[in-house]
Amino acid sequence: MAEIGTVGPTIGGALTPQIGSNKADAAVLSFNQRVMSWYGIIAFLLLWQIAPYLGLTDGRFIPPLSEIVADAGKLIANGEFFVHVASSCQRVLIGLFLAVVAAIPFGILLSGFFPRLTRFLNPLLIILGNINPFALFPLFILLFGVGEMAKLAIIFWSSLFPILNFTIYGVMHVDPILIKAARSMGAGKANIFWKVVIPAALPSIFTGFKMGATVAFLFLIAAEMLSANAGLGYLVHNASLNNYIPRIYVGVLGIAILGMGFTMLINQVEKLLLSYKDEVKVT
Amino acid sequence: MGFLRKYGCIIIFLSLWELLSRTGIINPIFFPPFTVVLATIYKMTLTGEMVIHVRLSLMRALVGFFLATLMGVPLGLMLGTWFKSFYKFTELPLEVLSQINPFLLFHILILFMGIGEAPKITIVFWTCLWPITFSTMNGASSVNKNLIKAGRAFGLGSFGLLTKIVLPAASPLIFAGLRLGLGYSMFMLVAAEMMGASSGLGFLTLNSQESFQLNKMYAAVVVIAFLGLLLDFIIYMIGRKYFLLANEGYVTVGEN
Repeated sequence: MAEIGTVGPTIGGALTPQIGSNKADAAVLSFNQRVMSWYGIIAFLLLWQIAPYLGLTDGRFIPPLSEIVADAGKLIANGEFFVHVASSCQRVLIGLFLAVVAAIPFGILLSGFFPRLTRFLNPLLIILGNINPFALFPLFILLFGVGEMAKLAIIFWSSLFPILNFTIYGVMHVDPILIKAARSMGAGKANIFWKVVIPAALPSIFTGFKMGATVAFLFLIAAEMLSANAGLGYLVHNASLNNYIPRIYVGVLGIAILGMGFTMLINQVEKLLLSYKDEVKVT
Repeated sequence: MGFLRKYGCIIIFLSLWELLSRTGIINPIFFPPFTVVLATIYKMTLTGEMVIHVRLSLMRALVGFFLATLMGVPLGLMLGTWFKSFYKFTELPLEVLSQINPFLLFHILILFMGIGEAPKITIVFWTCLWPITFSTMNGASSVNKNLIKAGRAFGLGSFGLLTKIVLPAASPLIFAGLRLGLGYSMFMLVAAEMMGASSGLGFLTLNSQESFQLNKMYAAVVVIAFLGLLLDFIIYMIGRKYFLLANEGYVTVGEN
């Protein structure tokens, strides 16, 4: 879903909690607040653990946490878990890498040097990006079979359009004042491109990349469920077919943690890379 | 001329598809010409087959979306205003929950709900809930402090502040969340219908592929794409009419 110009978090988006900090004891406060969110998750996990024993939930369908952890431990001990995580990661990273390599240079070139062509192509690109990749699944299977190629193609296709559309949006919406200022200070075309347009467009490109990464994880799982013999999606699918319920939860939590870790990593990279950009509060 | 400039690209794309398929440059078995797909849609509408699937899919998507709106907007408002410290407490669990992959959730939902309408609607509900909640929360918690101070100075109680100041001030972001949610609703619905259903557009797509009726498959894909754009267009129009959307443009066909 290429939602250009939409602010606010996506499903996988990072939240920006506001931390009050004009007090003298701001440090203590912020520490407490950071711990606070851990209290929350501890309470949540505790509730999960004891709910079946209290009869709040059915232990067969929502097994207590200890059972899930035990099963995860078993999978980790025999090394199976890492095989699944590795093959899932590999697919996501390759698909995402290909999408980035294709979309960012193409988007920058297209919108940087052929703005009129870009404006002409934009509706088509946005429609293609809005087409539900899930609906195209059968088509990918027809074209690429059920092997690794098809999965990579699905991940590539689904993450391509958010990245491409946000790149184009970023380059097309650079503040004209910045460009005029650079020009009046005598910057040449190449200089403007590298020193003004790219840095100004980078936040938007990053937003696209984050969106692409979220979508890539989503479709990785979908692709692995349709046909695979390794990967976290396969793990869940297989456990579900065998009615082995704790293992479903292992897979679900594994993917959630993997996705969150990846999001955090991207956020850190973004912070490093976009240090020139002030933190803008979403209003 | 304005029309051509806006939609020319799409027309070229469709004619290219038609031409390449008719001349056999791309395999017409895998890529039937666009007019054939349109004819298939027409035929399926006449026999009523398409109507059934579209109606069911729309019903599921919209019910899930409305339920998510009913829950997400108040929840976001509460977490963003009165229960800010409670939000700090629940932030991590909420984030974990929002990260749970809806595809995988389906397997768990089937355990509870069987394979009827309920798990599909729940999946749509779950997927829409998070963008709506988080967006509303962001909007509610970042309302201009001066507005709230002014409201308080004029003697509004906390409920009045919520309904008369926070809600209108947050409405652009709430609306952005709703629009995102509606987009996701169709998205996930098709996925849910592919995994376990005997009706709906997702089922139609997968079933026609499995029985190698590619014309039907393309018909379903085109209808899904069209419905997605249509829903986005409708919610955009509603938003433009009833919400303040100063900084937001309609990004699908039209702008630029």
